[in-house]
Amino acid sequence: MAKLILLCLKFIILSSAVEAVFEDQVGKFDWRQEYVGKVRFSHFDTHVQSSKKVLLATENNVFAALNTRTGELFWRHVDKTGPEGNIDALLQHGQDVVLVVGNGRLLRSWEINVGGLNWEIVLDSGSFQSACLVGQQDNVKHVAVLKKTVISFHYLSNGHQKWIENLPESETVDYQSVYSDGNGEVYALGIVPHSHIAIVAYSVEDGEIIKQMSVEAAWLSNIQASCVVISQGMLTCVDPLTVSLYMLDLHTESQMTQIPLQSLGLEVAPGFHPVLVSTQPNPGRQPLSEFFLQLGPDYYQLLQLNNGQIVTLRDFKPAMLVSFATTGEKTVAAVMSPKNKTASSLNLFSAETGRRLLDTTLIFNMDPYGGKPEKLHVQAFLKKDDSVGYRVMVQTEDHTLTFIQQPGRVMWTREEALSDVVTMEMVDLPLTGTQAELEGEFGKKAAIQDGLMSMVLKRLSSQLILLQAWIAHLWKLFYDARKPRSQVKNEVTIENLSRDEFNLQKMMVMVTASGKLFGIDSKTGSILWRHYLDNIPSNAAFKLMVQRTTAHFPHPPQCTLLIKDKDTGLATLHVFNPIFGKKSHVSPPALPQPILQSLMLPLMDQDYAKVLLLVDDQYKVSAFPSTKNVLQQLQEMASSIFFYLVDSTQGRLSGYRLRTDLSTELIWEVVIPAEVQKIVSVKGKRPNEHVHSQGRVMGDRSVLYKYLNPNLLAVVTESTDLHQERSFVGILLIDGVTGRIIHEAVQRKARGPVHVVHSENWVVYEYWSTKSRRNEFSVIELYEGMELYNSTVFSSLDRPHAPQVLQQSYIFPSYISTLEATLTEKGITSRHLLIGLPSGGILSLPKMFLDPRRPEIVSEQSREENLIPYAPELLIRTEWFINYNQTVSRVRGIYTAPSGLESTCLVVAYGLDIYQTRVYPSKQFDVLKDDYDYMLISSVLFALFFATMISKRLAEVKLLNRAWR
Amino acid sequence: MFHGGRTALLWVCMQAALVVAWCFTDMETGPGAGVSTQPNGDRFKIEGRAIVPGIKTQDWVSTARILVEGEEYVGFVRTDGSFAVNDVPSGSYVVEVVTPNYRFEPVRVDITSKGKMRARLVNYIKTSEVIRQPYPLQIRASGPHTYFMKRETWGWTDFLMNPMVMMMVLPLLIIVLLPKVVNTNDPEMRKEMEQSMNMLNPNPELPDVSELMTKLFSGSKGSSKAGGSSKGTRPAVKRR
Repeated sequence: MAKLILLCLKFIILSSAVEAVFEDQVGKFDWRQEYVGKVRFSHFDTHVQSSKKVLLATENNVFAALNTRTGELFWRHVDKTGPEGNIDALLQHGQDVVLVVGNGRLLRSWEINVGGLNWEIVLDSGSFQSACLVGQQDNVKHVAVLKKTVISFHYLSNGHQKWIENLPESETVDYQSVYSDGNGEVYALGIVPHSHIAIVAYSVEDGEIIKQMSVEAAWLSNIQASCVVISQGMLTCVDPLTVSLYMLDLHTESQMTQIPLQSLGLEVAPGFHPVLVSTQPNPGRQPLSEFFLQLGPDYYQLLQLNNGQIVTLRDFKPAMLVSFATTGEKTVAAVMSPKNKTASSLNLFSAETGRRLLDTTLIFNMDPYGGKPEKLHVQAFLKKDDSVGYRVMVQTEDHTLTFIQQPGRVMWTREEALSDVVTMEMVDLPLTGTQAELEGEFGKKAAIQDGLMSMVLKRLSSQLILLQAWIAHLWKLFYDARKPRSQVKNEVTIENLSRDEFNLQKMMVMVTASGKLFGIDSKTGSILWRHYLDNIPSNAAFKLMVQRTTAHFPHPPQCTLLIKDKDTGLATLHVFNPIFGKKSHVSPPALPQPILQSLMLPLMDQDYAKVLLLVDDQYKVSAFPSTKNVLQQLQEMASSIFFYLVDSTQGRLSGYRLRTDLSTELIWEVVIPAEVQKIVSVKGKRPNEHVHSQGRVMGDRSVLYKYLNPNLLAVVTESTDLHQERSFVGILLIDGVTGRIIHEAVQRKARGPVHVVHSENWVVYEYWSTKSRRNEFSVIELYEGMELYNSTVFSSLDRPHAPQVLQQSYIFPSYISTLEATLTEKGITSRHLLIGLPSGGILSLPKMFLDPRRPEIVSEQSREENLIPYAPELLIRTEWFINYNQTVSRVRGIYTAPSGLESTCLVVAYGLDIYQTRVYPSKQFDVLKDDYDYMLISSVLFALFFATMISKRLAEVKLLNRAWR
Repeated sequence: MFHGGRTALLWVCMQAALVVAWCFTDMETGPGAGVSTQPNGDRFKIEGRAIVPGIKTQDWVSTARILVEGEEYVGFVRTDGSFAVNDVPSGSYVVEVVTPNYRFEPVRVDITSKGKMRARLVNYIKTSEVIRQPYPLQIRASGPHTYFMKRETWGWTDFLMNPMVMMMVLPLLIIVLLPKVVNTNDPEMRKEMEQSMNMLNPNPELPDVSELMTKLFSGSKGSSKAGGSSKGTRPAVKRR
């Protein structure tokens, strides 16, 4: 029992030793940015005049309310990813918003002030077509949902179904749209392509079919693309072939009237499919009789239906985007037209007359590195003098939202592309001019050329420069101290970027799925540069590589982004400066062949750029940069350059060697039968990882040496059979040079998703145990044994002894989203695993807990070694969450980078949100803690100093007195 | 800090006990394990209510989510705190209420292929153990999350109550203050003190208990040593 207590005590000591966040550190080193994704639907909350909300439903299955004043989130609801959480429609009425989710599977109503759910109901299966609110005499109480075969009618207050009806002839008729204008009827509009339109009118009360008609329309193929309803139920369609409008009164006629556009004096741009835009401000009333007709890519026409006649009100040419907006009883049209190359202007026009409203011009400055405007979201409001004012949210191709107020003041911008970060790198910031000057003094050329005297002079001058900079810094401090704190702005701009003394501040280069690149300051989170790459294929894979760091002044740093189309395999390179985001002058090679593999070599050309090798599908290798110098180096090195290829469809891993003529030869091949198991991931070690200690000191003072093979690959496979009794997860450790299988482990009754971390001499992986229905971690550690075979250099070709393999598994009481390990400069600091949880927390779990040498029975030796006794379950302590309550939704990746301080590791977690912080896995042992009490230590020093002074004086007096006695 | 340590200790002991228990019981699959999940089978609804005692629901519902088996199925909390997760096939699931600020215990819900529901405590070690929970679920927050460690603050009381400081300060006080309080120059006082010293050591000729013991255990060799030491101390007493 005493032993057990001792054990417990030890455990507590160990567990309390790991670091946690202190409350006063909140926001000091960390920041979070929350995103929603590309906006699909937006709605300005207008039911209260002073409302500041805009509701957004996005393609990332997020429903959120933003503050229109600041652009920050009021609340956000993140649904499942994939089609099951897809938001099909957004309808707002009052303070409720109805969403149709998951291809018409769910109907949800949200209360927008609180951000809570009102109700949620499950709809019958069937693919969703359209939904609309249905009102009667300005009183909206119902919502109608049209599916492939049925139309259903629900109460807005509780979601209960009022009635559901099968659509007639739904096998042949493709119902696409539902319409209501508050007269007690709901129209379902369907089409038999190139034949006729089917219109069914239902009674709102009981779902009885009031009317059913079929109208000849052989030219029409899609209602949603080419038809709108205007005025008193006039279905208006446009046909690009006959270049005419067709109109049909839903209430009476059974014949479409054709109006050739030529009769209105209009002409369609060749090859353009005209588009109609209409508006129905209130679901309880008729749509407006005015509508837009887009006749060309930048040509809009405002038309009006007046007593059955189409009247042209105004033409807009050139006009990029148009949008209707309604406030009170007034409806306006906002039109965006190009002004010059970098700006476009927005104007408001009265919808009824087409007259331009005075003082409504707004200038939108386009970002030269951004995309083109794509959508306008206009918020109109009535001013005090009853005129219409407006603000506008412009959505551009690169998923950016810009909210602008008159006369062009940008209130906020949101870079929603950052909700989908694919890959990132952290790059050191450049040195400042003075720092560079100092560095230059010790440059290799200077010492040889100059004599002693000039060196001394140089030294003095650089010291002088340093002194000057220091005085300027002090002056600035003094100057800032006098100003109130709120006015002091330490804004980081590209101009004043410089490395700090511990290299804690870095440039985060982020690549997003939309093809927009960002440079973000890691300290503040402010976006310093952005660059939108257009013509990125939609299914592109990205790989970002740092070819030249900032260490090689005056050569600029250089990053290369490999963009590969997943279907064709064709790739392009984008070379840029990671600090300024500018495209480099270096022209990348054209890559006509599909690329299989890319690898960065530690070789450098004469300009200090690392060499990038690209392997194409003919197994030919091309180098970038490919100067003579590089090719020569490659020829010399070729015999020691190896690479591997993975073909997961055929389950083949193959190793190649480079020949001197830059062709390749196959040297090994491992085939994993693809019908039994498939390769899920292949993980090597990180190239910038350092391991400080070669071994572990055991309890008896002997050393257990680690097996540190830099060429080791961890290959994870999953069984193709997913039955819970037969499924398994396999892990193979393969030497990437020789193809030798070092170790093989199989986890039976387990399935993926498998998350792997491979570092130093260990591999940690996580899987789902189907037998016990829980997540389990397993750790494999490799040791050479008590003796090192060749301690000076590691060679895969000369390693006769197989390593000792230790393995242990643990239960983890949660699902995980992603897994990564901390990384520090020299590898002295102990390692932690960073685990992204679905709840949004990022757990920092000491690697100490995942140690296969954890004993089941405690012995003197294991205690000596500080091994924690084995416990099957790992703990999740909320103190170990490095992001406290700043949850990161849908964490997809965690990036770790070393800083200049050995104790500190920089961490960026990205998913829907981005979170940046620092972690200290072994606490801050190399700097004073940030709570270091300077006051106390100096006051104690002063007190001691004075105490000695006084006591000295007293002693003197006493001595004198004694002498007199 | 101290309190936390104690609870952790309790917890670990409990867990250790559980481990022992686990070693002896056979692993058997739970009742839900036999039911395989059918993608096209019936879909069911998991219902319940989440409660944060003392906090209005509108203050926390907008940040809450219901996660079933990680993010496999997602539900949201209604404005009154109740929730329902739709479209869940039969099987056994861990249901969690996730909010950034409040801690909720997860619950395991078993759904049979006929749609019968049962809720029980989550136990990852003994997966077949059944400790019933109410269904529809009633999940009560057990308090706010503790994300932060307490800083070691520096206070005068902490400093003074430190045993090392106490050990240093008390003798210092005695050394400094006693001669001040008791006037040692007074001959009467001196006599009195000497008397009280003698009272404490009533019979100087009587051997000490400890001395006796050492004599007894170490035999003759120790006796001379012990005698020597006792001799050494006695004159010191006398001198005072």
